[in-house]
Amino acid sequence: MKAQNLNRMTPYVFMAPAAIIMGLALLYPLAYMIYGSFRAWDPSQNISETEFVGLKNYITLFFDPAFRESLSVTLTFAFAVVTAELAIGVGLALLLDRNIRGMSVLRTLFILPMMIAPVVVGLMWRYMYHPTVGTINKTLKSMGFESVDWLGQHALLSVIIADIWQWTPFIFILSLAALQSLPRSALEAAKIDGATGWQQIRYIKLPLMMPVLIVTGLLRLIDAFKVLEVILVMTEGGPGLSTEIIALRISRTATEFRELGVAAAMSNYLLLLLLILTLGMFAITRLQEARSARQARQIQEEG
Amino acid sequence: MDHDRQNPAFYALLVALIFMAVGPIVLMFTNSFKLDVDIIGGTSGLLFLPTIQNYETALCDVLWYEPEHLDFCALKFGGAFVNSLIIALVSTALTLIIGCMAAYALVRFRFMGRDTASLTTLMVRMVPPAVLLVPVFGLWNNEFCISKKFWLGELIRDTFGGRGDICLAGTHSGIILIYVAMNLPFVIWILQSFIVQVPRSLEEAARVDGAGPFQVFFQIVLPLIKPGLAAAAIFTFRIAWNEYLLASALSDRDTKTVPILIVNNMSEFNVEWGVIMATGMLLAIPPIIFTLFASRQIITGMTAGAVKG
Amino acid sequence: MLKKLKRMALGASTALTVASAAIAGPYDAYDGTTLVVNFPAHPHYNAVMKILPEFTKETGIEVEVDQLPYLKMRERQTLELGQDEGDYDLIAYVVFSKADYVYADQLENLARYFMNPKLADPSYDADDLIDGYVYNIGFAGGNKGYLQGKTGSLFGMPYGSETSVLGYRKDIFEKHGLSVPETYAEMLDIACKIPQLEPGMGGLSSRAASGHHAAHAFLLHLAPLGGRIFDDAWNPIVNNEAGVQAANALKQIVDCGPEGAASFGFGEALGSFLNGDTAMFLDTTVVAGQIDDASKSKVVGKVGWAMHPEGVRRGSQTGGFGIGIPKNAENKEAAFLLMQWLTSKTGDKLVAMAGGNPSRFSTHADADVNAKFPHMATFGEALKHADPDWRPIIPVWGKINADLGTTLSKVLTEGLDVQDALDGVAERTRGVMEEAGYYTWQ
Repeated sequence: MKAQNLNRMTPYVFMAPAAIIMGLALLYPLAYMIYGSFRAWDPSQNISETEFVGLKNYITLFFDPAFRESLSVTLTFAFAVVTAELAIGVGLALLLDRNIRGMSVLRTLFILPMMIAPVVVGLMWRYMYHPTVGTINKTLKSMGFESVDWLGQHALLSVIIADIWQWTPFIFILSLAALQSLPRSALEAAKIDGATGWQQIRYIKLPLMMPVLIVTGLLRLIDAFKVLEVILVMTEGGPGLSTEIIALRISRTATEFRELGVAAAMSNYLLLLLLILTLGMFAITRLQEARSARQARQIQEEG
Repeated sequence: MDHDRQNPAFYALLVALIFMAVGPIVLMFTNSFKLDVDIIGGTSGLLFLPTIQNYETALCDVLWYEPEHLDFCALKFGGAFVNSLIIALVSTALTLIIGCMAAYALVRFRFMGRDTASLTTLMVRMVPPAVLLVPVFGLWNNEFCISKKFWLGELIRDTFGGRGDICLAGTHSGIILIYVAMNLPFVIWILQSFIVQVPRSLEEAARVDGAGPFQVFFQIVLPLIKPGLAAAAIFTFRIAWNEYLLASALSDRDTKTVPILIVNNMSEFNVEWGVIMATGMLLAIPPIIFTLFASRQIITGMTAGAVKG
Repeated sequence: MLKKLKRMALGASTALTVASAAIAGPYDAYDGTTLVVNFPAHPHYNAVMKILPEFTKETGIEVEVDQLPYLKMRERQTLELGQDEGDYDLIAYVVFSKADYVYADQLENLARYFMNPKLADPSYDADDLIDGYVYNIGFAGGNKGYLQGKTGSLFGMPYGSETSVLGYRKDIFEKHGLSVPETYAEMLDIACKIPQLEPGMGGLSSRAASGHHAAHAFLLHLAPLGGRIFDDAWNPIVNNEAGVQAANALKQIVDCGPEGAASFGFGEALGSFLNGDTAMFLDTTVVAGQIDDASKSKVVGKVGWAMHPEGVRRGSQTGGFGIGIPKNAENKEAAFLLMQWLTSKTGDKLVAMAGGNPSRFSTHADADVNAKFPHMATFGEALKHADPDWRPIIPVWGKINADLGTTLSKVLTEGLDVQDALDGVAERTRGVMEEAGYYTWQ
């Protein structure tokens, strides 16, 4: 009798600590924030002291040109970064999918950028982008080119480059793993049929890698919205608002402008955006699964 | 193992890639041994007189001697390092324990609320830390508090000193709590894909032998998912070690972590590149060590969810 | 248990104190106290850190310092001051926080400390404190709410205050036969001549980065050119002719400045001057110490100092930090003693010799200080023209400042038209002021 009770309780016992911590430290704050987004909230007030203002924060934001600019910067950044990283990462994986000595050493070196703290990455690139003493401009000058005002004129591009540096290894490693787990039979068959390298890539490798690539791409997309520390250290959102992604604007609205209600409303807009993207990810993976199931059935029927 | 010969262009590409990946890190390393004047002035290249002055400035509170170029010890790197270490190690340990228990429950058991739990775990993963900043700041400072008039509050104040109500903000536990919560979804996700691979037959055999569910978990399942645990540990440690935003909102002068120190040091008035590079290097050392020694586990962890799906 | 022990110890020490009260000095009652203070990471306060051991030696009061970058310091203070019991006994506040803290009633009014014969030092000589600083940084409730006036009172002491001054490369000027600019026209002229005369060198390095930096740089030019942000009825007039002139002056300076000038924060602008890449530097007096530091500067001994050039008037910056006692502090009297010691004649001279910014006229004229820092005399002169109304210190200023800064940055980097930009700022400022209630009496 006791054993049975224990058995029934077991899953709850196993889940309990995680549920409690996530509830307390993630779900409750989120609810708190949603509640706070409908109020005029100054940091020195307890939330019970704030007054209810309905949708005012949301409406103000909707018509705020600064918010719109921040939103467009965020979307530009996220999509540029993911596209570039996918292209470069997959391209490199395709190129380097060969048997060479010391592949594991290479892999180790390639994942170093990912493991470095974002603040340090921001720091390194800020130094390299420095207009006069930075490495990049010094190299350009020594080669006879003019130096570029990276963090002044091309701030968004500079930040995108830094992110590409840090995260392309992620896509690269995953694509390489995917490539190396492809069924050799299909590739052999294609080679026997006389397919060129490029045809192999286009018709066999890429389609087979698709599921992995999509998941990776969407993962990276969601993470791209979380990027903050690198940009904070490199440009602090400037010049103007050209690199102020929403996460940074939220943090600024809260700490510098001291309007927690508006910051909360902005956070909700961001969450909504991410929710749409995540649901999209689900939908696409489901579609993918359905399609491959259908294809498998077709092959079975034909064979 | 047959290694094919490749053409030189391939090797050139490899060298270029390695240079780009590792270059900035090596740059930071060399700059940390230069004086500010050299860095700004741009005596480029490898001909310079290395100095450990920057490291002396950074580590001044753990050095047994007083560096002569310093008038007072501003950076308290030693203290921050200890804080970072405590916070990272404890959060990693807690996240692993709690996370693998939860992952096991989600994979093996059917219970009421399982799908909701699973879905919530997944959804929560997409929350950016910046979104949590506002509510966590408010809650940790104002609501999650023990009043100092309460007996527990008085006891804590008497032993540890300090003033006012005891709130989570400014304590190690406060930061550890939010880090564990932030990392749980990811760890649960990784461990799930490892637990799924443990053959049920093993567990059933143990159950038949009379083992209770906890014994099955600790003695059978856990040892088999060691690679997963290692990967999860490394990822969690990395996030807890490198995180800046929430730590800076929730720490006070006794619980500063190293990233906070680094950002604080980039003051407007006096950009001391050498010291900044030195502290950056010191922060980057544990992750670099992990990478060099445990790269296989890291890659396993990364591919776990995506490739095996 | 611990509490009982503490009480016994307190009782014993009180008895001892009472016993020795007859021969007590002002600091004896506080011997052994530890003060927790909040200072910014700033060259002046670095100098203060060097002289704090002197204070402890003289008084027996320990000082534990929490040094933070000044914007972070502000956030931290907002948090601490709002609690029932705060951690800090003494805080250094950025000048524009004066409005916030006094308005929220978070700083102690210093009147009753100066009235207390056991605490107030009769040889303090408050008249020697620099007027512009005292009224800009420490005084509140006067005219317009933040200036000198019969209705106001003192809430803090200026400490680490700064005004603006022009630093220039004596060697470059001599080489090309240029004379030190006295007026804005002359300065702008030279600023754009330098890149032609010395290829690769900028004319004047200035802050220009988006946000606070660009706004600060703009304000530097606004006052001397006769402009103001608001008129007496709080209507925004930043977009009048003087304002446009000031913005154009900034744009010209940045265009003729060193490479990357449009994204310079203060640190980069200074670094450019220290590295010898610019011929002039117009900003705070704080930098003087670093210019002569060989480990940081390549222009040691080559820099001359002149007053902030004249437009239609002379009006240099007033700003910097002040120190005050939070209402929720634990050791208020000891904090007052520290504050008094730091700003006393001896304390001020000590900090000046250590490289900090003096707050007294006498220190600027002192022979020893001038022997070590020859620029002090010029600074003393400049202080006579420090304009206390250089920037409106009202609670909503932070938001207006941020807007002004980001808009000006767009003027500098995206080519936004100056008049349009300033009109936009004026309009949005009007909205902010209206919401804050500044037009209630119109």
